[in-house]
Amino acid sequence: MTAKPIEADRIWRGIALLAAYGLPIFFILLPLCGFLVYSLFWVEGTELHYELTLVNYRRFFTDEIYVPVLRQTVVLCLEVAGLCIAFGYPVAYFLSGLKGRKKYTLLMLLLVPLLMSYIIKMYAIRSILGGNGFLNRSLIALGIIDQPLTFFVFNLNAVLLTLSVLLLPFAILPIFLSLERIPKNLLEASADLGGSNAQSFFRVILPLSLPGVISAATFVFVLAIGDFLTPQMVGGQSGFTFGRIIYSQFGTAFNWPFGSALSVILAAVVIVAILVGARFGGEKAGVHR
Amino acid sequence: MKRSPLATLLLSLVTLLVFILLYGPIFIPIVTSFFTVKYGSVDWSQMNLDAYAKLTGNEGVIEAVENTFIVGLSAVAASLVLGTVIALHCNSGKSRSRALLQFVVFLPFLMPPIITGLSLLIFFREVSIDRSMLTIIIGHTVFVLALVYRTILVRLQGIGFSMIEASYDLGASAPQTFFYVLLPNLKSALIGAGVLAFALSFDETMITILVTGTQNTLPLRLWAMMRLGFTPDINALVAIILALTTVMVLIAARYLIPKDFAGADA
Amino acid sequence: MAVLLELKGVGKAFGATRVLEHIDLAVEDGEFITILGPSGSGKTTILRMIGGFTQPDQGQILLDGRDIAHDPINRRPFNTVFQDYALFPHMTVAGNVGYGLKVRGTANAVIKQRVGEVLDLVQLGSLAARYPAQLSGGQRQRVALARAIICQPRLILLDEPLAALDVELRKQMQEFLKDIHREIKTTFLFVTHDQEEAIAMADRICVMNYGKILQLGSPTEVYYRPHSEFVARFFGDNNLIEGVAGDRGSVATPIGTLPCAADGTEPAAGAKAFAVIRPEAIRIGNEPGANTVVAGQVSSVNFGGAATVAVVDVAGVPLRVKLPSRAEGLPLKVGDRVQLAWRTEDCRLVAA
Repeated sequence: MTAKPIEADRIWRGIALLAAYGLPIFFILLPLCGFLVYSLFWVEGTELHYELTLVNYRRFFTDEIYVPVLRQTVVLCLEVAGLCIAFGYPVAYFLSGLKGRKKYTLLMLLLVPLLMSYIIKMYAIRSILGGNGFLNRSLIALGIIDQPLTFFVFNLNAVLLTLSVLLLPFAILPIFLSLERIPKNLLEASADLGGSNAQSFFRVILPLSLPGVISAATFVFVLAIGDFLTPQMVGGQSGFTFGRIIYSQFGTAFNWPFGSALSVILAAVVIVAILVGARFGGEKAGVHR
Repeated sequence: MKRSPLATLLLSLVTLLVFILLYGPIFIPIVTSFFTVKYGSVDWSQMNLDAYAKLTGNEGVIEAVENTFIVGLSAVAASLVLGTVIALHCNSGKSRSRALLQFVVFLPFLMPPIITGLSLLIFFREVSIDRSMLTIIIGHTVFVLALVYRTILVRLQGIGFSMIEASYDLGASAPQTFFYVLLPNLKSALIGAGVLAFALSFDETMITILVTGTQNTLPLRLWAMMRLGFTPDINALVAIILALTTVMVLIAARYLIPKDFAGADA
Repeated sequence: MAVLLELKGVGKAFGATRVLEHIDLAVEDGEFITILGPSGSGKTTILRMIGGFTQPDQGQILLDGRDIAHDPINRRPFNTVFQDYALFPHMTVAGNVGYGLKVRGTANAVIKQRVGEVLDLVQLGSLAARYPAQLSGGQRQRVALARAIICQPRLILLDEPLAALDVELRKQMQEFLKDIHREIKTTFLFVTHDQEEAIAMADRICVMNYGKILQLGSPTEVYYRPHSEFVARFFGDNNLIEGVAGDRGSVATPIGTLPCAADGTEPAAGAKAFAVIRPEAIRIGNEPGANTVVAGQVSSVNFGGAATVAVVDVAGVPLRVKLPSRAEGLPLKVGDRVQLAWRTEDCRLVAA
């Protein structure tokens, strides 16, 4: 290692280093910085003014549409995270009780749908939930209802259900991993000291798996809040989310600086979520403060 | 620890429900693809492959499939090369610049795709790069890079330094060390990461929709068609895509999951 | 003493491997009993069966005349100190120690008071608010012990609790455990693979190997009167001289026919056997009271701190002799011709 690299080596190294730093900086960092700066420009009609101003941010906070939509979207995504955990936790707990190959095969099967076409799943869920969809027709056929139910058709409820089904595997994995990390002898110790199954679960397993639950919630929340296609597809007119508003600024509204400002705000929400997740989730937390 | 039978029953019922929720939306189009669909309702009386025959004549879809493969393969190639170079560099020491580089690489993975997509959209406009297949490829590369980088880095850390030092000690140059020592050891990680990256690229919609010009990848094509309602041949396409994805997942699992993990006993 | 717990014909197999064969063992009330054996001997399996963590395939575990072999863990009046302590990482020391009372629905004020008492007993009163991750190995050990004794179990099971500690600390903890045992007068069942630890702590030692109990008795009994080759070899550096058993406890060996103390466990006449002599029981020179005298040549002298071990070649059989060391050195050097002598009661006979 102490020998001086020969000339060809040095050139080779130089090119590699240039690529290693240059490309990510050029195609990731620079666009993100540019996008921050863009949010400080302003638009008049169709003309873009390259002057720094906070007018976009002021508009976000003063206009009566945007803050409520953001709040509504955050609540929606928290609900998605909640639903995903409500279903994901029992599944992860069930998996962690299985043995050997069966456990990992089942885990794989639960994760595979993540890689299956997102648009198609969304479409299939829409066709199940729709006014004339599988669910309504089945309920009518079974005589449970006589009019199609509408509370999950083209509204925020539909968005909630669809996102939950799409993102559920993201909740199962971190919870499963945190359950797997709990040493078996802690459960033995709990039973040995007289704890019933329920006591062992609520006093030992549940608190020790909380970091995984928080990681799961963070994952699902971040993925849900960034999704602008699902709300568009299943949300109809009333299922308006923050992502859709951002997207519309780059399409129909054609106000890129304002869209950028809204995205910066979205990014801020995401960063807060990730920081909260990192603070309370992960491996170390919960062991001691 | 033994769980009570009641708890086990409830847990398995929830698990079953979740399986139905996850796989229902996947199986419905597959099953439907083997039957004739007329006026929005399915004729269950007879199985046939009409939908598959019709698909071969759908030029828009076929072109989208071609584009998807071009984008996917290019993004995989670019991200593998770049990911390997960055991983080699970051594994060779500790420094502030390396930490920053790693952070930058992870940004598109942490941030919602809409932010990655929009920042690239603005960037391409400001540096006057017309939106084309190239911009889609750049978008996908940026998106999958973190995953590829991470996979390679983990493998490199597993290899350790002594093997690299031994190679230098025996008089090999850096490229020789890379091609004779590192590459053979990285092979399975590269294959696994490549397949996973392809699968991600294959399904990427949100960045693509922002950085595409007039070209359609398959998800974009499906997106556009879905708003009007699907023709029956799309069910056939879905079945084919899902079969393909399953194969890719199996390949990726074969290369990325250590054997003792898959066969591990509690 | 009254019998507290009785294992009757207990057997267990994991797949094709038999880990326990027909174990009979009576644990007496208030004693400190140690199960000693190498890894894989089945000692931990016995502890886990008593604790309820595994079930026997055959046999009974009787407590107050009732078979508890298949009772759930949390219904048994026993508590365990686990090998790696198994402290709950998300609870404080007080939370860990109070857990057993909490799950029984004890009032918080009572829990607080009892936790305080038990922590004082294990000398950890000042650390009640710490988390396990903030404690040293020895402190965790004490928390684990406090947690196990707070519910006043009938029996405390200790699964190699000192294995993770370094030598000095282990010595301290051995004494500490003995003190606690004297203090609370609860029965202790202690599992270890370390014979010195077993001797230092136990009232009775149960030596196990291959899933069987080989010998059960006081530390002096198993140390000085081994009943089998395994036990003779397991306790330190005994001299084992191979030969053929003769009448009335004698054994014919290459160094002569050696008389041995008999206690009825010897092999029958004509069987292959070992004469077992502890190295510290052998004297140099013809000592009064010694019944057996042999002659040999010193082949090595090894200073080992408190004791010096000389190896003496007697007709081709090397015998180790352990002597107290002296600062000026022993009057022995390699090549010296010496006489070795020992008493008949220091020579035992075991089957080969």
